[in-house]
Amino acid sequence: MPASSLHTAGSAVVRGRVWKFGDWISGDDGIVRFSDLRNFGDDHDPAELARHCFAHLVPDFASRVTPGDIVVAGRGFGVPSHPPAPMALRAAGIAAAVVESTDSAFIRRSLNAALPVVTCPGITAAVADGDELEVDLTTGRMVTGSGTVLTTKPFSPAMLEVLDSGGLVPYLERYLAGEARA
Amino acid sequence: MRQTIAQKIIARAAGAESVAVGDYVTVTPDYTVMQDIYFWKNIKLLERLGVSEIAYPDKVIAVLDHTPQATLGTGYAARNRESREFARRTGFKNFFDAGRSGLRHLIMVEHGFARPGLLVFSDEPNIASIGAVGALNIPISTEVLVSMVRDSNWVRVPASVRFELTGTLPRGVWARDLVQAICREYAGSDGLMQRCVEFGGPSLSRLSLDSRQGLLAGMYHAGADTAVAEVDDVVLGYVQDRADGRPYTVFTPDDGAEYDDVRTWDLSTLEPLVTVPPRHDGVVPVSQLDGREITQATVGSCASNRMDDLRAAAQVLRDHDVAPGVTMYITPGSPEVYAQAAREGLIELFTARGATVLSPGCTTCWGYLGALSDGDVAISTNQENYPGRAGSRNADIYLASPYVVAASAVAGQITDPRPMLAGEGVAHARQ
Repeated sequence: MPASSLHTAGSAVVRGRVWKFGDWISGDDGIVRFSDLRNFGDDHDPAELARHCFAHLVPDFASRVTPGDIVVAGRGFGVPSHPPAPMALRAAGIAAAVVESTDSAFIRRSLNAALPVVTCPGITAAVADGDELEVDLTTGRMVTGSGTVLTTKPFSPAMLEVLDSGGLVPYLERYLAGEARA
Repeated sequence: MRQTIAQKIIARAAGAESVAVGDYVTVTPDYTVMQDIYFWKNIKLLERLGVSEIAYPDKVIAVLDHTPQATLGTGYAARNRESREFARRTGFKNFFDAGRSGLRHLIMVEHGFARPGLLVFSDEPNIASIGAVGALNIPISTEVLVSMVRDSNWVRVPASVRFELTGTLPRGVWARDLVQAICREYAGSDGLMQRCVEFGGPSLSRLSLDSRQGLLAGMYHAGADTAVAEVDDVVLGYVQDRADGRPYTVFTPDDGAEYDDVRTWDLSTLEPLVTVPPRHDGVVPVSQLDGREITQATVGSCASNRMDDLRAAAQVLRDHDVAPGVTMYITPGSPEVYAQAAREGLIELFTARGATVLSPGCTTCWGYLGALSDGDVAISTNQENYPGRAGSRNADIYLASPYVVAASAVAGQITDPRPMLAGEGVAHARQ
């Protein structure tokens, strides 16, 4: 499937430039548009998904984003969503998302696409668009460019293993080969 | 440790005495349920993984609910044929094919899969409807694939918010109006996010089991991950008829269990409420929208496709035709509901009044059938209202109860159902 090229390992420690978004950017009509991605369930080429990512919010996003950038967003980021939303973020090069709040389905859906998403109330006040941010998923420690330290709940060993594998399907390949630790 | 119902169910599935909120735990699910589109994708992924059949087939359930009707211009029917062939070849019995399928939310309950105290993994938060019979839905999205390979996965134990129900619904007001009231308060905040809503209180038992399922199915749109309700005699009677000897455990929350919030909802203070697109917290009394012309009215979706929902629509339509210029679609949620509606004369009634009865499935909720065109204005019991959800982006989807939808279909504009119900009994009172 074309999506397999998305399956490169996610990193447990991410340092990148922040793209900051507001509250209630949904996965179905914000990150991408459900109405742009007919038919539901079809596989999409990563390059196509990358073009859709935030296309209606930041028209030149695809040309300005650089691999390793981090999304910081407000409440309800990615709610509701379907699988193309986190895949589009990943395809665009986003390495992590730190948000005020989201639902567990989006966190799992994103992890399965090797995109770490963490919640951190207060994050939008702590960083500005274009700031540097470092996120360590093994400890939950985040450091902003100005040196402010914030914390989130660390990923569990099972989550880190999926991330390190490059997403759910490569993780299951590892698991079935007897190579998974968690 | 004093625990909520969700903690107790997760602890049981984890083989632990207790679990703490926020902990990551490994559980063995009782069932995992998925819809047709993901099932087909997952059997393709199994092939890629070199796995020839589902590892624990008795615990996996696949239901054709998004695409059971073959339609022109999509590949779904061909994919479903491949899924059917996979099920036949591997002897996978829990494959609910077109003709035997309804929404998986209903199939889980009707076929006795969802039972008190069980933990169910699924591909969708709306399947929290099974919490009405005391089962806990844990939405794991694309990870339903894991359950086709092995018998365990991780869960983060959610905090719970307790909602106590009191009072009695007034005439013309439906449990769906409580969903809108909860969404009005919570959907614009993140007060329920990553949490489980636990329902109890003296009036839970005053709601029919159908209404409870619809209520819990809607909690995702208020922000919650999942929901579960206390189990009463109505639930036990229903489950005993369908469990077919399969085990279950009734859990009650401990006194002193910790909740992030405890709220009382007095059903007697509710009125008909309508959600104005495109958000879920844009909820107003129906009177504020009185006169808004509509072109489509739909009763269906996992929120409102059970017998009591159809009966509510029928109460309005009994003496009134659907207005010219309005297309009304009614979707029974399962073959069981469809057959019962036929026995009660509702299919004939709807047909006589000018409504179209569709076959069981998600149908209009995502525009697979009854797609919206530019300029359409729909009033619907469906679950979502964002632009382009059910067809054109230049169409509006208002969300409301089956009473409001049916009354609006009759009037050709958004309308308060109460004047049309004068003298009618209230379906809720019947148990």
